[in-house]
Amino acid sequence: MVAVNLSHRRTHNLLLISKLLSLRDTTSPLTLLVDSLEQPATPLIQEYIRRANLSKVHVTLVAFETLKCPEGCDAFISTRRKSPADIVKEASRAYQPASTGPPKRRLILIDAINPLLTSRRVDSSFSLPAFFGALSTPSTSAKLETSLVVAYHHDVPGSAPSNLYAPSQFSMLTYLATTMITLHSFSHILAQKAARDRSLAAPVFGLEEEQEGVLLGRLDKLSGTGAAEGIVLELEHRRRSGRGVLEWYLLPPASRYSARQVKEVVTLLDDNVLYNPPVEADDADEEPTSTFDLGLTERQRRDREGVVLPYFDAQNGDGPGEGGRILYDMGEEDDFDEEEDEI
Amino acid sequence: MSFRKRNIGVSTGIDRNAAPTAVAQAALPESNPGVRPSPDDGRPTTSTGCPSLDGLLAGHAGLPMGKILLIEENGTTEFAGQLLRYYAAEGVVQEQKIHVVGMPEQWGRSLPGLIGTADILEGKRSDKRKDERMKIAWRYERLGEFGAGIAGSRDAPPQTGDSDGAQKPQQAFCHAFDLTKRFTHPSITNMTFIPLTPSKESPYASILKRLQSAIQSSSPSTIHRIVIPSLLNPGLYPPDASRPEYVLQFLHSLKALMTTHSSRVTAMLTLPLTLFPRSSGLVRWIELLCDGVIELCPFPHSADALATSGAATSEEEPPQGMLKTHRLPVLHERGGGNDQNIGQDWAFNLSRRRFEIKPFSLPPAEGDKEAQEASVPSGMPKKADLEF
Amino acid sequence: MPSQPPLPPLLTPYLSSHPDSSLTLVTSILGATSNWLILRFLHSSLASLWAPNPSFGLDESNNGTKKKVVLISFLRGWHFWRTEAKRLGLDLARLADKKQFAFIDGLSDLFNTAQGSRSPANPTPARPGIPQRTTLPVRGPPGAVPARGPPTAQIPSAGAPEGTTDKGVAQTLSFSGRGVAALDALENEILAVIAQLKISAEDGEEILLVIDQPDFLLAATGPSMDIGATEMAEWITGLQQNVHATVITLAADSPLIHNASTSGIQGSTPIEGEHAAFAIGLAHRARSVMQLRTLETGAATDVSGVLRISRGGGWSSGPEDNLDEKELLYYIQRDGGVRVFGRGES
Repeated sequence: MVAVNLSHRRTHNLLLISKLLSLRDTTSPLTLLVDSLEQPATPLIQEYIRRANLSKVHVTLVAFETLKCPEGCDAFISTRRKSPADIVKEASRAYQPASTGPPKRRLILIDAINPLLTSRRVDSSFSLPAFFGALSTPSTSAKLETSLVVAYHHDVPGSAPSNLYAPSQFSMLTYLATTMITLHSFSHILAQKAARDRSLAAPVFGLEEEQEGVLLGRLDKLSGTGAAEGIVLELEHRRRSGRGVLEWYLLPPASRYSARQVKEVVTLLDDNVLYNPPVEADDADEEPTSTFDLGLTERQRRDREGVVLPYFDAQNGDGPGEGGRILYDMGEEDDFDEEEDEI
Repeated sequence: MSFRKRNIGVSTGIDRNAAPTAVAQAALPESNPGVRPSPDDGRPTTSTGCPSLDGLLAGHAGLPMGKILLIEENGTTEFAGQLLRYYAAEGVVQEQKIHVVGMPEQWGRSLPGLIGTADILEGKRSDKRKDERMKIAWRYERLGEFGAGIAGSRDAPPQTGDSDGAQKPQQAFCHAFDLTKRFTHPSITNMTFIPLTPSKESPYASILKRLQSAIQSSSPSTIHRIVIPSLLNPGLYPPDASRPEYVLQFLHSLKALMTTHSSRVTAMLTLPLTLFPRSSGLVRWIELLCDGVIELCPFPHSADALATSGAATSEEEPPQGMLKTHRLPVLHERGGGNDQNIGQDWAFNLSRRRFEIKPFSLPPAEGDKEAQEASVPSGMPKKADLEF
Repeated sequence: MPSQPPLPPLLTPYLSSHPDSSLTLVTSILGATSNWLILRFLHSSLASLWAPNPSFGLDESNNGTKKKVVLISFLRGWHFWRTEAKRLGLDLARLADKKQFAFIDGLSDLFNTAQGSRSPANPTPARPGIPQRTTLPVRGPPGAVPARGPPTAQIPSAGAPEGTTDKGVAQTLSFSGRGVAALDALENEILAVIAQLKISAEDGEEILLVIDQPDFLLAATGPSMDIGATEMAEWITGLQQNVHATVITLAADSPLIHNASTSGIQGSTPIEGEHAAFAIGLAHRARSVMQLRTLETGAATDVSGVLRISRGGGWSSGPEDNLDEKELLYYIQRDGGVRVFGRGES
């Protein structure tokens, strides 16, 4: 039963992540990547670019952090000293597909949305939904399906909202996104699981350690986790039907597969050997072996149950000094010596 | 049987640095009272007016010129203020120019009275100790002075020269003051008091301007001391003064001023931690802008019972608080670390005659007289001192 | 204690390799400052020019690429850097003369509005000569000053130790106005110096930009002067675009980072929030982050602090960029030498 469930889940959810990362069927117009210093989104963004190149999707990088155009990007938009309106204008100019022909697909990556959210250049009339909307609607009549992938650094504190009654920027982003991927470092997940299995408090890393002078806690060789490379993706996808899907995946490091590999590289986290070590089936009724027999025969057990323990007798309250005796009916196997023993 | 002999003995520890010191001494004109080369690297230093504070400053045996020292104080006591008074009084005695920021002129009249050079106190103490310890082999005796006399032991170079012992008062580096006496000195007019003037802009602008012009217009041989008591204290400063763009810019400009005239200005400021806790970002920036940061944590009064039981011997006063060094001039600028005083727990004690900083150690069990006496000099001696 | 090589062997790979447009972040705290590490960065980039035959195999790690260095310091003056570099055997003043090095002074005049006489737009770039005594206001009586200064034993150069000697200082920054405009003015002054070095650059010569504590600029201006973390980060980007690689030092003291990043922006002051956003944001962009801190177990006599080298958010997991993450201990000796060693070693 459990195995059937898991295999069903596996087929379904692997297909889902494959669709999402490869931007098939425009399953998710707005994907939010929530990362932190402990697990930056850079490798996942590179994976997006890799897959987009394989399926000939036009890639635009709106760079708030990146200095130079990474390999595989078709258009690079630097945002320094530009207003949101300028960015939108430049982004739509960057790709002008022919208005005829089959529908084209396009990927717009934003490497970090935080600077835009805290920028002082952005006035109060700026609205995040409108900005994303303008980015993803094509300016031309051509059939264009745009997917927007936005990275957000969860650990960078935002600025105080000018309107205290407005929702926070992060909750706004999570509300708008159709897919949200939170990134974790695999070695940290393993360390936390190991602690949980022993009912210990889960360890924290980096900024959460609150240790003076420590920004990053990520070290390659975390003790006890071995070569646990890779990124854990915590996926939350909202289907059009309204149903949500929640699943944990593992993306192996880019060096483990070829850049041209089409086969899916992402696996379920539950399928990982390090995360879910295979349990050896053990016999439930196994007893410790010994030359001394610890078991009871049926008769012995019945006799033992027949013994009235002293405190039961004491509750009868036959007066002070009475009660608390051991009431025992002598059996034939008892070797009773009148002179030595007394009842 | 004088303290001079002891100093000569101790000075052997400095021999490793003898070469730079000798050069430094030659380069330093005699006409600069109160400035002497550091035994550590020869840079000019001046005394804070408190020998044991001098001894704490990373082997320089004084406050290096061009550096800012920040004394933070928890609670509402005035220990840090006393240190500032020593610092100012020492400056007056050394005929340096004192600039006091934000305080009325009465502050100048509350300085402690001069009773002589700091060696007088140290001398008496060491004589007494010597009598007690005649039976101790001389090689161990030096160790006994370690905790108490760091400063005293370091001022050897100027004295080894004149062997006949009579020290001229104007050559003294550090003086002793008596808190119960009023300070009177012919050079007390060298103090200027810079008031805070209300202003729409930064409340510090006028202070900075006056400091700059005073230092620039003075002769290049004049040594200046900048005293800033109780920075940001709302009793003295306007509420705007704690805005980072005012106070941090002021301290940065002060730092620039000190760097520009790096061989003739020192500054010391105090900050009330009760109002501006160390856990706030603003205070951390103030600390980062200063060259030395020392925190005073006075014991609450109720701890008096514990403190008296902690009095090691009859002549040792009980500690009145803990002292933490967070940053030391020059040492931390270079990266920190190699000072033997770092990592020690320090206790301070303010008595009528001195502000004393000594290693803090919990007292041994009551009545264990011998162990108590042994625990007094708890500064860890260097290996070099144990070897011949 | 034996004298140490200027560059600790364990650190050499981290100090000398700077991929194109990479950012290296160095964080320090109150009790563990970063100056010694910056000096090592300078040394690893400049020493091969200065001493043609370094005895410990610097040539291979340098890969034959020559570097020029621009150092912008907001908290420490020219005198400090020159003296300390001298202890490592690096004559910055001479390198400045040879146009291999330029120092930009962000301390002396940054907020010195009281002096007032300076015009903010200084036409310095037009002047090719490095010793620009004339472009700076005379702050003190220059002639009389050298008469008494600190002893000459430690300060080997002929110049007086006081800040009146501007030999070697390529530019003195001065902040005026507010907001992005003020930052732009600073940026132009810095870019002019970089451009000057570029003119004389030979083929393949790269410029390394070292910015010492730009976070102070943010702290001392802040949101009330319309400068926030985003504006500062963009300012850095503008400088980064004009050089080969960048090294930035920041303060990572607990109150400046954790007050805002853990409790959220509410319950923290703007100075803490902006600093945390700036520092963490830069760490996301950095290829490597070198974090200095003191020992958790308290001070020790033979350890100055801990250095943790981590990959930042900008590290790309390509095969060409192998950056090992490490945690090391370091000890700064009296003579300025640095010993770097792993935990448990000595």
